[in-house]
Amino acid sequence: MNMRDALKKYGCFLANIRQFFSERAVVEVCTPQLLDYPVTDVYIDSIALQVNKDIGLKSKYLHTSPELEMKKRLAQGSGDIYQICQVFRDNEQGIQNFNEFTMLEYYRLGFDIHQLMDDMTDLLKSLGFTRPAMQLSYAQAFSEFANIDILKTDFDGLKKIATAHDLCPDFEWIEDLQILLFTALCEPKLEKIPLCFIYDYPASQSALAKVQGQVASRFEMYMYGDEVANGYDELQDAQDYQKCFEYEINKRLVLGKTPVAIDKDFLSNLQNSLPQCSGVAIGLERLLSNLLK
Amino acid sequence: MANYSTSQFKNGLKLMLGGNPCSIISNEIRKPGKGQASNRVKLKDLITGKTLEKTFKSGESVEGADVMELDLQYLYNDGSQWNFMDPDSFEQYAIDDSAMDDAKGYLVEQDMCVVTLWNDNPISVTPPNHVMLEVVDTDPGLKGDTAGTGGKPAMMNTGVVVQVPLFISIGEKVKVDTRTNEYAGRT
Repeated sequence: MNMRDALKKYGCFLANIRQFFSERAVVEVCTPQLLDYPVTDVYIDSIALQVNKDIGLKSKYLHTSPELEMKKRLAQGSGDIYQICQVFRDNEQGIQNFNEFTMLEYYRLGFDIHQLMDDMTDLLKSLGFTRPAMQLSYAQAFSEFANIDILKTDFDGLKKIATAHDLCPDFEWIEDLQILLFTALCEPKLEKIPLCFIYDYPASQSALAKVQGQVASRFEMYMYGDEVANGYDELQDAQDYQKCFEYEINKRLVLGKTPVAIDKDFLSNLQNSLPQCSGVAIGLERLLSNLLK
Repeated sequence: MANYSTSQFKNGLKLMLGGNPCSIISNEIRKPGKGQASNRVKLKDLITGKTLEKTFKSGESVEGADVMELDLQYLYNDGSQWNFMDPDSFEQYAIDDSAMDDAKGYLVEQDMCVVTLWNDNPISVTPPNHVMLEVVDTDPGLKGDTAGTGGKPAMMNTGVVVQVPLFISIGEKVKVDTRTNEYAGRT
């Protein structure tokens, strides 16, 4: 395919995405990409920039996802919104990870994660992907693929399982060991499945999703084994966000990673709390490459 | 032997796994959106020749294997061992049958081979990609036949059997690809 045809095809792909949201009255937004605070995620690093060196040096950070800025809009009454933008991450390595990639992020008010997963399946259909969508809870995936009762097994039990599978059992936090076990034992099985949603993650991996009992209302979308999207039934209250940020900041500290500060501006924007909504972030290059498989 | 962290993993690095020296064939970093990275690694067990897959936690460290590869010249077989020489130092190495595997069928005197040593003991021999072998037994040839219309088995002077074109006859020297055991021409 020549350059012109390839560009036309990509343009068409983006236009179809915009068409899908336009039909559902989801509004496109553009939020700032240069932020005052780095992301607090333990395993995601912001790219820091020094600006204004002639008039008073200041640190700024390229956004790693538009999540917090979009949530500020949601708290201010934006209603359903989406954004397509470049995002930037430091210290990325591997054949599937880059310092810059394109993200589609969107939020639907009143949706739970099951409605959002169905909505995403419709989005993929509108982009020409007609393979059946599979949905498995995190516990089902572990039980089916690895014969492990992931919600009932405690940290010591998981360490024994890791050792039995010839995997490193030296972990400080249970969620990190769960993720290694998932990568090693479940992800290879997902490679044969065109589209699979994994939902209801253990509460230990709640991130910014609501927790109900043992599980967090979170999902990930896998296409042929690639993690393409990550969605939550979003936390609503400022104090819940603060708790999560503090947990992550402490973990970064223990791991000896670059210290980060909490975005106080975000928390003050949430004084009226976020409306109940579910949101998802989709890696567009990975989505496109899997649509073409 | 030094330990290697996952960040130092690269193709060809030799590690100790399950008591055997292994060589990395591929190293894929998997980074979940919300979690710690891990390395999905394919390795070749240098003793059994088997390929294995293993997932390492990012930052995990693994004992290196003291594996060396030497370019040695094949000299002769004395009936029980295979003798090689380092052409620079003239140091000689006698290698047991067990380390030879398929290499036996392709050893031509004077040819340079790659000999892999683990803790100074030879564990495998890799012959050159192409070797010239002499046909010692095959069905009578058919004149005028050309390559590509099937073939016939031919026994080589090293004992290996290779499928050759019908026009090849006993006493001829043929080029054999040692990686595939395929006929690769006459010169």
